[in-house]
Amino acid sequence: MIRRTALRDRIGMAVAMMAATALSLTGCANAGSGPTEITFHMSKPEAIGFFRDLVKEFNAEQSDVRVTLDTASNLSAGFLRGDPPDVGLLNYNMEMSRFMERGALSDLSDMPEADRIRPDVQELADQYATYPGRTSVLPYSVAAASVIYNVQMFEDNGLEVPETWDELIDVCNTLQDAGITPIYSTFSEPWTIAQGLFDYTVGGSVDLVDFFEQMNELGTEVGPDSPVSFSKDFKDPVEQMMELAAYSNESAPSRTYGDGNVAFANGEAAMLMQGPWALGEIAKTNEDLKLGTFPLPATNDPDDLKVRVNLDLALWVPEIGDAQEASREFVSFLMQPEIMDEYNATFLGFGTTTDAAPATDERLLGMQEYYENGDFYLGASQRIHLSIPAANYIQAIATGADIDGTLSRLDADWARLALRE
Amino acid sequence: MTTPMGPATAATGTLLGKAGGQNDHLAGSHTRRGKPKIDRIYYLFLLPSLILFTLAITVPALVGIFYSFTNFIGFGDWQLVGITNYIAVFSDPLILSSYLFTFGFAVVTVFVVNAIAFLLAVALTSRIRMKAALRAVFVIPMVISAIVIAYVFKYLFANSLPALGAATGIGWMQESILANENLAWVAIVIVTAWQSIPGALLIYIAGLLSIPGEVYEAADIDGASAWTRLRSITLPLVAGYVIINIILGFKGYLNAYDVIVGLTQGGPGTATRSIAMTIFTGFTGGDYAYQMANATLFFIITVLISIIQLRITRGKAALS
Repeated sequence: MIRRTALRDRIGMAVAMMAATALSLTGCANAGSGPTEITFHMSKPEAIGFFRDLVKEFNAEQSDVRVTLDTASNLSAGFLRGDPPDVGLLNYNMEMSRFMERGALSDLSDMPEADRIRPDVQELADQYATYPGRTSVLPYSVAAASVIYNVQMFEDNGLEVPETWDELIDVCNTLQDAGITPIYSTFSEPWTIAQGLFDYTVGGSVDLVDFFEQMNELGTEVGPDSPVSFSKDFKDPVEQMMELAAYSNESAPSRTYGDGNVAFANGEAAMLMQGPWALGEIAKTNEDLKLGTFPLPATNDPDDLKVRVNLDLALWVPEIGDAQEASREFVSFLMQPEIMDEYNATFLGFGTTTDAAPATDERLLGMQEYYENGDFYLGASQRIHLSIPAANYIQAIATGADIDGTLSRLDADWARLALRE
Repeated sequence: MTTPMGPATAATGTLLGKAGGQNDHLAGSHTRRGKPKIDRIYYLFLLPSLILFTLAITVPALVGIFYSFTNFIGFGDWQLVGITNYIAVFSDPLILSSYLFTFGFAVVTVFVVNAIAFLLAVALTSRIRMKAALRAVFVIPMVISAIVIAYVFKYLFANSLPALGAATGIGWMQESILANENLAWVAIVIVTAWQSIPGALLIYIAGLLSIPGEVYEAADIDGASAWTRLRSITLPLVAGYVIINIILGFKGYLNAYDVIVGLTQGGPGTATRSIAMTIFTGFTGGDYAYQMANATLFFIITVLISIIQLRITRGKAALS
């Protein structure tokens, strides 16, 4: 505390002196005082090169702020020591929201950039947690996920993109009759089924925002007799998930994420339940494969179609940073429309602002309309606290465990966690 | 304090210390039990490791135990919550099943590793050709990192074995045992054993080589069969080594982590989640205080086991 106050005073004085110098000696204001140093945390592996170039550009075009890119340090430890990065740009999820919930991130609502964010996208961040009176997280890029399909295989079998559950089952049957594996599944890695078939069938039929709101309110009371519960509300979609899982390759229980991408690229199946991150991997094996995407229909009403999204990257500035002004300046730089559009075009993301360019990659076009209209949801598996091994439970169901028993276990875990929080 | 050895320099400390001890003994002064007085230089030798151990192990452990009585998530404000976490641990089927799995796994693995390592050691110390080369071959698994071994075996279990099963028409082999909730633990035992047999093997070879040849010669004269020699001479004489291997092995297998992460990630479902993996979710899942309570209980259990094992070892030592 003492140290921080002292530092603040010192910086306050430095700023005041700089202002005074600037007023009296316009032209050589920076003489003697170096630029403000800030660190920028960005650890998404494939995007490091992109942001390294941006940091270089920013450092070259002005001399007040000097940004250092940090791609490796441990965030929790940083916050714990009271030494977090000055600006963070990373995946926003349950884990990250816990820092926000405890007031660790500063309010950015007064920045003009905050007004450009689409309200329904900003809402996604609030679904995890909120801090009264603050907009602490600026969504930067959204990853939308749905069914990836082999366009050639669909055309060869005279298939249209299904818009209802019955049509989807018809598609699967047609493919199977033609000797094609309809869906390539990789149950050996729990997350692939949790974020794929499970999230798609649940998100396509359950109002998740309302569901988790009630679940959080119920807390310790979640159980067999509570008004909402996993065993009550998720039973039907999970049964649908199993119906689709039966159309998978027989080797699914022992296949990994990587196996799935290679097999799909080699034309071993017609559909893959993965996000845009898999598209680049598939292209590594087979660059010419024509792919498309469509939201998984979990009901028989085409109006219910939605895509699964997550906040792939979001910007934030910690509350205790020493250089708020410099940090915000860099945030503004990163939030320039051209830079955001370039990022999203390069990394198959969707824009988060009202002025963002639409996705043009043909593999994403099948999702553009739904994303634009706000027909999306945060995956249910991402809304469950990480200390509950939900993905493992879902994997157990996929490999044969009892649905009712496993979902009530999930309910019991939810109540137990609420008890000790 | 008042002995003439007090200002001894480091270089001559040992010598003078010895001499001092003898003087004390002869004089029959304050060292009543007749033990030579220990030079303080030895404490100096201990000091660096003592400081490091305290800072790196004891202090963090105490801090962790303290936090197990709070609702700390690894960051921010927290409150003391008493023994809430401990009560929750005891009613958590996930944690209880991880204890069941880990102890079952450790017992089976200790048995498998020691049986195979002992038989291998007997074979590798008997009169066979290419002994040195064979010993080197058997030690190789020890130098490869566990996670690498796990990934290689994962490929074998998930792809090679099912392919072999399909080619030969053997039904049960066509499904990967890693995907079978009831059999995945067998794969983990196999890989862990494959990796840790060399360590146990080396200790057994050392033990077997320490048995003097005369006892076997005497047994030969008495007309003992190979089996009688193994049972009545070899086993009793390497009993100490067996106990060392069991204690070291059991302790290591209770901390099972890397092989499981590489092979099954605790799955299918939660069938192969070890205690260490469960505790680690406290860091990744922001459930720090709760898993610290789990870790504290695990610590108490391992201390109890160590005490029991030490008792048994002492008993054995007294017998021989």
